[in-house]
Amino acid sequence: MALGYSLAGWIKSSRTLSKYIKPVANWYADLAGYRQMGLKYDDLLVEESPTVQRALNRLTDRERYDRAYRFKIASHSSLTHKPLPKEQWVSANEDKRYLKPHVEEVLKENEERLVWDTMTVERK
Amino acid sequence: MLAARASTRNASRIARSFATVVDTAGVKVSAVDYGQPTSAVTFLIKAGSRFENKPGVAHALKNFAFKSTSKRSALGTVRESELYGGVLSSSLSREHLALTAEFLRGDEPFFVELLTSFVTSAKFARHEYQEYVVPVIESESNAASSDPAIHAVELAHTLAFRSGLGSSLFANPHHAVSIEDIKSFAASTFSKGNIAVLGTGIDQAALSKLVDKTLGSAPSAPALPSSPSTYFGGETRVESSHGGPQTVFIGYGVAGPSNPSIAALSAYLSPAPALKWSNGLSPLSELPLGTSVQSVYLPYSDATLFGLLVQGTTTKGVKDAGKLVAKALKEAAAVKSDDLKKALAKAKFAAASSVDNRDGIINVLGPKVFAGSDTSVDSALTALDNVNGAAFAKAVSTLLKGKPTYVAVGDVHTLPYADELGL
Repeated sequence: MALGYSLAGWIKSSRTLSKYIKPVANWYADLAGYRQMGLKYDDLLVEESPTVQRALNRLTDRERYDRAYRFKIASHSSLTHKPLPKEQWVSANEDKRYLKPHVEEVLKENEERLVWDTMTVERK
Repeated sequence: MLAARASTRNASRIARSFATVVDTAGVKVSAVDYGQPTSAVTFLIKAGSRFENKPGVAHALKNFAFKSTSKRSALGTVRESELYGGVLSSSLSREHLALTAEFLRGDEPFFVELLTSFVTSAKFARHEYQEYVVPVIESESNAASSDPAIHAVELAHTLAFRSGLGSSLFANPHHAVSIEDIKSFAASTFSKGNIAVLGTGIDQAALSKLVDKTLGSAPSAPALPSSPSTYFGGETRVESSHGGPQTVFIGYGVAGPSNPSIAALSAYLSPAPALKWSNGLSPLSELPLGTSVQSVYLPYSDATLFGLLVQGTTTKGVKDAGKLVAKALKEAAAVKSDDLKKALAKAKFAAASSVDNRDGIINVLGPKVFAGSDTSVDSALTALDNVNGAAFAKAVSTLLKGKPTYVAVGDVHTLPYADELGL
């Protein structure tokens, strides 16, 4: 499963649940520390799978460049054992899921291929 | 018995002409049914390379055919048509883009809907362009540029007509075509007035009904402006490192509607023999060993390019053959009446037999459907009947008065220049 299991959709659909869980989720995302290293959430997506590799190929040149740049910054701050200065942290509204839509698209295509590959034909 | 005979003869006469053109929901629909076991429907779109606003857009659009639409994905298109046993193809000429589906009789609702969905709701996804379309464009362009004959004719068009008809059928690796360019080109060409639907092996009324049902929602935009063609001519030499035959194209062009005399000239000079293993009786039948000459006659809606493609293994052979070609062109106006008669018969046969297959029908009659002129092959044949010695001589001398279009592809150090051949 390229994207991992998620309850996010179910939680978002319920107003009460999202009201209680959202602050916790935001707190957790800040605590995870990847934003302090200058990364976005989709940079952490496990890319060692054909699905995600295919999705990565579908990024625009700009997105691909920015992703590589963020990796470079992050590995540098890892090397210095220091988070970035606070003004360089990735803010919550910059932390967009830029890769997820592409991964979902690839997953949908794989699924469609499987359906066509395994269907049975009936003459009406 | 006799009556039955007469009726079959009548039927074959009717089959000669294409069905009448019907305007269905603003789209020209025309179909003919010879009783073939399979049907084919072609959407002929005025989106050839002469209309493109950026080099290579038409080629990219051609290769984008049958990719994802809002109805089904590219994979779904392929798999579903495979289930029906149909064949989808797209082809590009300088004037038209043809999207064709060939299928068994009775499957027309699906395939007409499939063609329509590409014309009305293609997605033009960026990743499909990168993953599926660009590799095909690149390989087609490479194959074309490594074939000296195709390369020479492409260059000849550029020299002869510069813009418009001069734009190449193939994308140029030095001109990037973006997905936005393709989208805007498709949006400007996929409109009702620009599309003609041609069917073979299908009933006219049934096709009209299907087109009315599916294509009724297509946008109607004005036709793309195309400047009338002008003939220029010129000379170019291109080094070719692909190791193909040494190639020289000697051509002349003329603007204006196609002239049957030029078709006759092409038939007169064509050294293709009527009988296998013979040399034929054309003025170009005595060529040096290892060389070949092909006559190239390309009529367009408002211009004609005619030429002879000389190919050979050695540049010396090409030079000798080129001299023969130049001499034959000069002497062509003073053709003997017997030879003219033979050439006319040959041209008539070529014109008539070209509509025997589906591609020919689309190529020959498609432009006529757009122009709204007589959609039968008979008009072309009677036009050839009206050619006589004087008309032929006049047409040939006007054609040859223009500046020649001369292209040399191969070893440019030793290939002849135009003046060395006496052009």
